[in-house]
Amino acid sequence: MKVTLKWLKEFVDFSLTPDELAHALTMAGLEVEEFYTERHDFSKIVVGKVLSVEKHPNADRLTVCTVDTGDGQFSVVCGAPNVSPGMLSPFAMNGGTVANGMKITSREVRGVKSSGMLCSEAELGLSERAAGLMVLPENTPVGLNMEDYVGNPDTVFDISITSNRPDCLSIIGIAREIAAITGTSLKKQKTTFAVTPQENIDDYIKVDIKNSFKCARYSGRLIQNVKIKPSPFWLASRLHSVGIRSINNVVDITNYIMMETSQPLHAFDYKKLAGKTINVREAVDGEKFVTLDEQEHILDKEALLICDAEKPVALAGIMGGLNSEVDNSTETIFLESAYFDPGNIRRTAKKIDLFTESSRRFERGTDPNGTVFAMDRAAKLMQELADGRVLSSFIDNYPRKITPVEIDLSVKNTNKLLGTNLSAENITAYFPALEIGINKQENDLIQIKAPTFRPDLTREVDIIEEIARLYNYDNIIPVLAPPVNQEQEANQKVNFKDQVRHYLAGFGFKETVAYSLVSEKLAEPFIPSKNEFAQLLNPISRDMAGFRPSILLSLLTTVAYNRNRQKSNLRLYEIGNVAWKDQQKEGFTEFTQIGGILAGKSQEQSWYGPEESYNFYDIKGAVAALLHKCGINGYEQGQVVEPFWDVESSSILINGKYCGAFGKFNQDVCSLFKIKVADIYGFFINYEELFENRLKDKKYDPVSKFPSVPFDLAILIDANIALHEIEKEIKNSAGPHLIKIRLFDFYKGEQVKKGKKSIAFSLTFSSKECTLGDEEVEQAVNNVLAHLNKLFGAVLRPG
Amino acid sequence: MAENLQTIIAQISEIAAEFNKDIQQTKSRDDTEQVKVKFLSRKGVVQNLFVLLGTLENQDRPRAGAELNRLKNDIQNAIDEKLKSFQTGKRSIELFDPTLPGKEYHIGSFHPLLQVLDEIKDIFVGMGFRIEEGNEIETDYHNFEALNIPPDHPSRDMHDTFYMGGKYLLRTHTSPVQIHTMEQQKPPIRMIAPGKCYRKDTPDASHSPIFNQVEGLCVDKGVSFGDLKGVVQAFAQKMFGKDAKVRFRPSFFPFTEPSAEYDFSCFCKGKGCRVCKNTGWLEISGAGMVDPAVFGFVDYDPQVYSGYAFGMGVERIAMLKYRVNDIRIFYENDVRFLEQF
Ligand SMILES: [Zn+2]
Repeated sequence: MKVTLKWLKEFVDFSLTPDELAHALTMAGLEVEEFYTERHDFSKIVVGKVLSVEKHPNADRLTVCTVDTGDGQFSVVCGAPNVSPGMLSPFAMNGGTVANGMKITSREVRGVKSSGMLCSEAELGLSERAAGLMVLPENTPVGLNMEDYVGNPDTVFDISITSNRPDCLSIIGIAREIAAITGTSLKKQKTTFAVTPQENIDDYIKVDIKNSFKCARYSGRLIQNVKIKPSPFWLASRLHSVGIRSINNVVDITNYIMMETSQPLHAFDYKKLAGKTINVREAVDGEKFVTLDEQEHILDKEALLICDAEKPVALAGIMGGLNSEVDNSTETIFLESAYFDPGNIRRTAKKIDLFTESSRRFERGTDPNGTVFAMDRAAKLMQELADGRVLSSFIDNYPRKITPVEIDLSVKNTNKLLGTNLSAENITAYFPALEIGINKQENDLIQIKAPTFRPDLTREVDIIEEIARLYNYDNIIPVLAPPVNQEQEANQKVNFKDQVRHYLAGFGFKETVAYSLVSEKLAEPFIPSKNEFAQLLNPISRDMAGFRPSILLSLLTTVAYNRNRQKSNLRLYEIGNVAWKDQQKEGFTEFTQIGGILAGKSQEQSWYGPEESYNFYDIKGAVAALLHKCGINGYEQGQVVEPFWDVESSSILINGKYCGAFGKFNQDVCSLFKIKVADIYGFFINYEELFENRLKDKKYDPVSKFPSVPFDLAILIDANIALHEIEKEIKNSAGPHLIKIRLFDFYKGEQVKKGKKSIAFSLTFSSKECTLGDEEVEQAVNNVLAHLNKLFGAVLRPG
Repeated sequence: MAENLQTIIAQISEIAAEFNKDIQQTKSRDDTEQVKVKFLSRKGVVQNLFVLLGTLENQDRPRAGAELNRLKNDIQNAIDEKLKSFQTGKRSIELFDPTLPGKEYHIGSFHPLLQVLDEIKDIFVGMGFRIEEGNEIETDYHNFEALNIPPDHPSRDMHDTFYMGGKYLLRTHTSPVQIHTMEQQKPPIRMIAPGKCYRKDTPDASHSPIFNQVEGLCVDKGVSFGDLKGVVQAFAQKMFGKDAKVRFRPSFFPFTEPSAEYDFSCFCKGKGCRVCKNTGWLEISGAGMVDPAVFGFVDYDPQVYSGYAFGMGVERIAMLKYRVNDIRIFYENDVRFLEQF
């Protein structure tokens, strides 16, 4: 919302500088986003008189004019259609500069010498009117510098108005705030004008409201004998300052008063209204209507229409119709000033996607008791600027009267909520400027009446906010109270997640955070079927079409991004939420995943060793380390189910439940992400499972005071027996003193019999009670060998 | 010819003695290499004994095997030690170069956004707040309605929302976590809710459709606007230093009343600079006293309880802290960026 300093000063007296005003408004909740003083460089731009106008010899649309500046006469080539002998217009002399920065010089235009330039308002930056020369009043002194004509430049404030303050979508609303801040009151503007007597408006028009909920009040005036013409300069330029285009005097007046009062007005061409009737009714489903902007809208029965005896003529509160528009031949105006239900206007505007300055105000709430004031302000201007004759009587149908809300305010409650110590007098002092009325006041209680232009004031707490705002938030003293709830427990689920992050960073992984919205194409390998993609109804792009189904998708995207930047060796992790569309019930399954990636080389060629690439056992090692740190000792491996894995892959089962997988990504999925070399290993683990299975209570297991005894055991065994099976059986048969098993050699190939593998374990034995003797260890190893032999046919490997 | 355990053990002792004699006499690398060939090569003395192992009775094999392995290891260790003694002597003068780079480590790191978030969490946990989390896919009810934002409310315009069909949407703030928490708990409540939020913004240097927010909530008897100011000010000073100042300005949010925007003093100490657009203040986020209507949705009595809520954008704070000027950088995960943190 843009306002100007001069305009505000028509309604309130204050002496703040623009800087101080901007700060004061911002601190009262009307955030001034920027303010600037309009600057025009009018040096060498003076009032010129056009003495003669002749056709340009070589161009149909151009004229050659003689312009008098009082100081001399100049021959100027001009292209404006409205140039005529005798007119006064701004004249930029050679050396002057116009608004777009062009410097005026003597030049030849189609073979005719031209010095200086006759200017439009747009060329001087005064309005956007560019179609013709700016026409100055006849009594303007020739040769007067334009700066003296225009007067001091105005200052424009661009204010961001929160949606609860429709009253501040107006000059008066903001002026009222200034009055409240500075402790003064509003200057009332007169709405007096001459009226034509002895005529009854009922003879001209009847208004019938069919739905008083959607239209609580409809006021209207008839203005006869109007002359449609361009607005005077002051009006066009003021609208220009606040960002509104000038159309003609009548339309500009309705816009000007809307800016002034926040009450949208609409001017109908009276002769285009059939049957001298206005019906305010709901549309029928499918009813079509063409608005002023020549767009056709298909409405439903929620929409409210303003109709004449035959047809709709305006879409209530949003935009007028093309069929009743004011045009150059309009003589009689029917001026509408109404109150429409905010919710209804918003729903209709949203449905047809048409938001106007008018709908913006109605949908936030206008003042139902301000329709006549605004209408009369406009009527006054129409008389002054369009030679209109205003009919003495007017329409005011108000079937659903809206009265001020009464609110009980407790001084005690106010101070309790704000942490202040205000007296009833302190509090009530703020009310007059805000036009908040006081019904009665006894002890702690103040019964107040909220003005109807403030739809945001309905409850005690709303009034408390007003008090806080004007008392100034700065004056409320900060208190650092002790924690209110000392005994509440930490959130273990959050803390454990942070622990996992620390583990992974400790393992040398870098943390990443990716966009969790992804394309459907990339999502496909990560969900069983397309139906399970958690799609958005209104995505911003195909690349962000839905919620990611897997953390690995994000990590592969990150790999691709870095590989495109010559960073191919990567060790990354991410923890975040993923989601699938639920197939059983309406809704989504959202859960947290931990993912890690190893890509490229683990070790580049260096002075101490050759390069090494990541392999399956690197990623398996990372998974094992993470599970170990979480106190999950022992997990099973199984077949993977996801289609993006290579054969070098495995699932992670904890207590028999599938809760993640790891391995190498296959060529297809790498190609999908445009990753050229398929040397990427990854893992994912569902966080919930990790959290549930974590070791909650760590207890110290005393270490032995006695020396441990190592024993290397090398065996030949069937190649298809899984290692974890063998280890399990070693544990089962080695007795109580085996404390550690570590595989240190593995061989499968020509040196051993087909179908066998050679494996060697380093076993460590230890007792907490005594030093183990050789016999005990031998006995244990013998038992292991016998057990493995019986179970798997394993034999000791010959040296 | 079958051997028995005793003879094998005896031979092991003999070999050990012989080796000890030989190794003591070595005077050079070459001497040592020769001893190694004698004892450890494929046709060496120790290997010959391993062959004999196969002829033992089954029950004797582990014991003999163990002894033999121990011998082999002892010999290997002694030889390695000897070789090293020749080597170190030489390297200390000729080969050792302390200026060669050390072995490369894989250096893990935390994402800068989450580092900032960790710091924020620490500060609030220190002030008695509990961390709560919630889903990113939310219902209209929890994201809007229970926060006093009914359908068709103009303030929904501020939340350009991604819809997912039915009642589901991507949360536009972490405030729904407040509602879930209040639905499950009775006051007193003192919590923060960090997490990802979504708004339909086209990505550019200062907008991201996905961003991280921290929302705070405190509800108890007699909680005031002064308490809100106190907590936010304490946070600012812990995050940005003792000199940090906080400014509250009136604003509007449907779920708080009175509502405020709050700013932190700029690093330029009010002199005015590019970061603060010469205002001396940095806009941080919104806050306010919980609107009684919100208490209505979670069945708290607004006559008994009051509370405050505040929000903050993690990216905004991270950008200020690390002087990052493009929000998108956080989500690109360029390792050249990540390794700076
Ligand atoms: Zn600054």
